[in-house]
Amino acid sequence: MTMDRRNFLTVGGKFFIFTAAAGSALEYVLAAEPHNAPGYRTMDHWWAMMIDIEKCIGCGSCVRADKAENDVPLEPFYFRTWVERYHVDPEKEHPEVDSPDGGYHGFPEKFHEGDGSKNFFVPKMCNQCADSPCTQVCPVGATFVSPDGAVLVDKKYCLGCRYCIQACPYGCRYIDPRTETVDKCNLCYHRITKGLTTACAEVCPTGARRLGDLKDPKDYVHQYLRENKIQVLKAHLATQSKTYYNGLDGSVR
Amino acid sequence: MDSLRNLSRFALDTLRLLLVGNRYYYAWVGFLLALILCGVFAYTGQLSQGLIISNMRDQVSWGFYIGNFTFLVGVAAAAIMLVIPAYIYDWEPIKEITILGEMLAISALVMCLGFVLVDIGRPDRFWHIIPLVGKLNWPASLLAWDVIVLNLYLLLNWFVVTYLLFCAYTERHYVKAIVLPLVLLSIPMAVSIHTVTAYLYNGIAARPFWNSAILAPRFLASAFCSGPAILLILLQVLRKTTKLRITDEAIFKIAELMAYTMGFNLFLTAAEVFKEFYSGTEHLVFIQYLFFGLKGHTTLVPFAWASILTGLAAFLLFLIPRTRKNWITLNLGCLLIYASVYIEKGMGLIIPGLTPDVLGEIYEYRPSVTEAFVAAGIFATGFLVFTLMLKAAVPVMLGEFTARRRLGGGSHPEPSDHNHSAREVTP
Repeated sequence: MTMDRRNFLTVGGKFFIFTAAAGSALEYVLAAEPHNAPGYRTMDHWWAMMIDIEKCIGCGSCVRADKAENDVPLEPFYFRTWVERYHVDPEKEHPEVDSPDGGYHGFPEKFHEGDGSKNFFVPKMCNQCADSPCTQVCPVGATFVSPDGAVLVDKKYCLGCRYCIQACPYGCRYIDPRTETVDKCNLCYHRITKGLTTACAEVCPTGARRLGDLKDPKDYVHQYLRENKIQVLKAHLATQSKTYYNGLDGSVR
Repeated sequence: MDSLRNLSRFALDTLRLLLVGNRYYYAWVGFLLALILCGVFAYTGQLSQGLIISNMRDQVSWGFYIGNFTFLVGVAAAAIMLVIPAYIYDWEPIKEITILGEMLAISALVMCLGFVLVDIGRPDRFWHIIPLVGKLNWPASLLAWDVIVLNLYLLLNWFVVTYLLFCAYTERHYVKAIVLPLVLLSIPMAVSIHTVTAYLYNGIAARPFWNSAILAPRFLASAFCSGPAILLILLQVLRKTTKLRITDEAIFKIAELMAYTMGFNLFLTAAEVFKEFYSGTEHLVFIQYLFFGLKGHTTLVPFAWASILTGLAAFLLFLIPRTRKNWITLNLGCLLIYASVYIEKGMGLIIPGLTPDVLGEIYEYRPSVTEAFVAAGIFATGFLVFTLMLKAAVPVMLGEFTARRRLGGGSHPEPSDHNHSAREVTP
């Protein structure tokens, strides 16, 4: 498996660069046109997301920005990113989790300080796994890890078989009702290949979300990973998630 | 050249044979066609409105269609249940009916492919998963493997059945060097289709309910109960309605083999239940949802227990020689085992695998009316394929329908003659 993936990365990478020069069919594969971005080389980047639980105030700006930027259907059950609220009461066996409309309208106040409970928000999105279970199972290779570390979907080749929805341990994929194909967070690929940050990170008022480039030695991500107690979701599944959480509580699943 | 001409004559004669029948035949085919029409209407609705018309959602994104698919792969695999004793142990009475098992496999596979086709959101892109035509993500994706093995198995069975019938039609003896290796190959192939289908679920680390190493063995054990159950009833119908000779001995032998596989199936289920409940990890929620319900959601509970109880009852009926050799209890046992496996390997496998979902949400899935009609249409298609194959195959097997003695052309064959021919057709 590892060999396969490595091969895929190498071959795919060459193909990518070649395509960037030739500007051929792969522009359909991608959400954007990376070859138009001046000086963007996919092999020079390895994207990651940093999310700081301590900083998240549950305003839902990221959810709104994401839906607007990426044309996500507005019904409250299609999300590329959403925010969950955790209410951990020591008296109860399980934490109480809610996410009204995915946090699109923020969170109406429900819990109060001083009742002995712990309350916090957890923004969720595609974990951009380097060893992603969803790309492994796709029968036609319509979803794949790009050479710069974004997990992308080719909506023009997807069958809508929904096998990847079963495989994703984070519940990040949904069927777009307009195309009957799968959709998910693509790390705003059309923005990051042009030197911008993602829409959700752009609008976050507290800086709880930050895009990082692991191949850039000067990027803040290195300091962030070094200085904080970092966790990823469901680490036992060894998906090599690249969405790094700071201050993640043990009750989060 | 000569055999090519024979082949086209064989095809034409078969077609003519299919168009003629008594009124029960017409009524049955008409009924199936009506069901297929209902299915087509329902599917047209699904095509225009999208899969949202089904009750599947992102939380439970596989449902009734894939449940039926999984069950039917088992039926297809069970055809070898008859091939193994016939060829490995050289047991004559079963040899004559293996061709029926192969035809059952073909019909089951047609239904499987139908269920996959209606389940995908973009059927216009179906060609993407056809080997060599589309780009398959092989060997990484188990779904790509499944497509390959299912189609190979379909091709293999179709070829063997057609070849045997054609030989009987032209009154030549089949070439053993062609048939025997293919029939023997169908044994590992049958195991592979069901194993790969089990791995389809087994390989998904995100769904702990499916993450059991005995999932594939359980699939095989249950398939070897349900497939022959269908066949046992069918054999009794056939020997009542046609001149096909099927001995009691053959039927009781299959029933005896089923008793063993059913015992094994129950044992494997018990092993799974023990492991889940004794270790009691957080993965227990799925089997709890199946057998006891979760937070008041109990849709599956009556079905889950019905599956266990009917399975146990059928096992006892088949285990005791007296009830096994009594036609009423034998047929009752067949129906019970069929019900048990249909629940266990259909909705009882898919739905608890996906409920609660990866985020802990519970979405209670029930098939919608559209899903029920589409499924009925696909089942009717499978039955129609099987009916038509039987309609053509039975006279050929009886030696009533050959190149020389075509339909209506000759007198009825002598009884002694027809025994001889019947043996000749079947490998």
